[in-house]
Amino acid sequence: MVAVLLSALAFALALFALTRKRLLWGVIGVGAHSLVLAGLYLVLAAPDVALTEAAVGFGLVTFVYLLALRRTGKLVVAASPLYPLLYPEGERIAGLEWEILARFARWCHRDLEVIWVPRAEIPRLVRSGEAHLGAGGFLPNAEPDLRYTRTLVPTRLVRVRGGEGPLGAVAGEPSPPQLDGEKKLFEDAAELAKALARGEVGSALTDLLHLREWVMRDLFPEAEVQVFPEELGFAFALNPEDEELWAGLEEFLAELERRGELAELVRRYLE
Amino acid sequence: MKVLLALALLGLGGLLGLGIAGLWPRPEPQDPEPVARAWGVANAVAAVVLGVRLWDTLFEVLVYVVAMVGVRFFLGGLRWRGELPPVAETPLLRRAADLLLGPILVFALYLAASGHLGPGGGFPAGALLGSALLLLALAKGVERLSQELYEPRLESLEYLAVALLLFLGAVVLIFLVRAPAAFIAANLLIALEVAIGAWAVLHRFASARGEV
Repeated sequence: MVAVLLSALAFALALFALTRKRLLWGVIGVGAHSLVLAGLYLVLAAPDVALTEAAVGFGLVTFVYLLALRRTGKLVVAASPLYPLLYPEGERIAGLEWEILARFARWCHRDLEVIWVPRAEIPRLVRSGEAHLGAGGFLPNAEPDLRYTRTLVPTRLVRVRGGEGPLGAVAGEPSPPQLDGEKKLFEDAAELAKALARGEVGSALTDLLHLREWVMRDLFPEAEVQVFPEELGFAFALNPEDEELWAGLEEFLAELERRGELAELVRRYLE
Repeated sequence: MKVLLALALLGLGGLLGLGIAGLWPRPEPQDPEPVARAWGVANAVAAVVLGVRLWDTLFEVLVYVVAMVGVRFFLGGLRWRGELPPVAETPLLRRAADLLLGPILVFALYLAASGHLGPGGGFPAGALLGSALLLLALAKGVERLSQELYEPRLESLEYLAVALLLFLGAVVLIFLVRAPAAFIAANLLIALEVAIGAWAVLHRFASARGEV
């Protein structure tokens, strides 16, 4: 009877380990599975086998997996939130880039972790290796020592004029050549929108996707919008020394594009 | 893919059911007590593994050694180029390693030395020793531990253990020695060899980042 119960438990733990999205939980599941198996052998009057199973399956194998997870198991993404590319939704994270990244992480067997930072912080984090990728509301700004992937979502810069006053922009974002002058810088687009609403700045420099969010929330109904002709696009930023990640991500994106899934994702999230 | 997974699970469940239902014929169990008594040990499994079936065990060890040598040979030249990603120092792991290392080592030695009396033996003891080294590697970083362990000397120690084990096996097989001392020595040698082999494989995998 005990043997049957332990078998069922081992089976359930194996299923648990197989279905976990987070690798660490999978490893813990496999370890617990080994321990239950050891108990099963003990019940079946094979203490020697039980000991070996516990030492190898629970001890050695779990440690090897843990070491591997510590070495390469994470894919840290530094991002500034932008609806609908990459944004927190309650406890979860959602968005177009999230879907791509989640699939990429599964593809290369890494645990995805997103840290939310202001736009201007992303290049520093990626350069120093604290984050592997920059994403979210990240418009390439010809930063040195950064490498960008192909454009995921094309966009353009826009200037939203609400009244008289200085021009506000998000620190680190690109700017069109005709607006090279003095700007008031803000940490992120939400701060910028608040400042524009308060009248602290007369106009705000942003992009079509942020504008879309503002329009959807009906923030500045009377504002005048000027769209600049330069073509830009949201992309992932990588450290150029991380050749391997770069090649992997490019291959993955090319495959997505080839199968038309990238266009499908863009259509689903942006139309 | 989903269909395949479902089929595999169904198959596994069926196998489990068959095993539990006892549909397979089971071999008639022999009384292990006379075997153990004949070899002068208390644990019948030890009497089988290191006595009656000593040939099997020796070849098993040889297979293990050949696998280790293969890993060393093929992964030795595969050094990860450039900086390895730094392994963060966590006080929790350091502390856990400090606390657990001693008990693990003692228990592994106990398992190896008492394998002829009760459950245990060289293989689980070696795996435990390997786990202890892994715990240290997790706390300190693989490369640092490798330097502190004098890897080349460790390698020759492993080959020495295997040579001694083969010599011991030959003595037991030729002169039909039936003494607990031979069992203890064989278990300790197997434990040493398995532990060093596990460490070597892990170190190679870790420094090549597991990429072949």
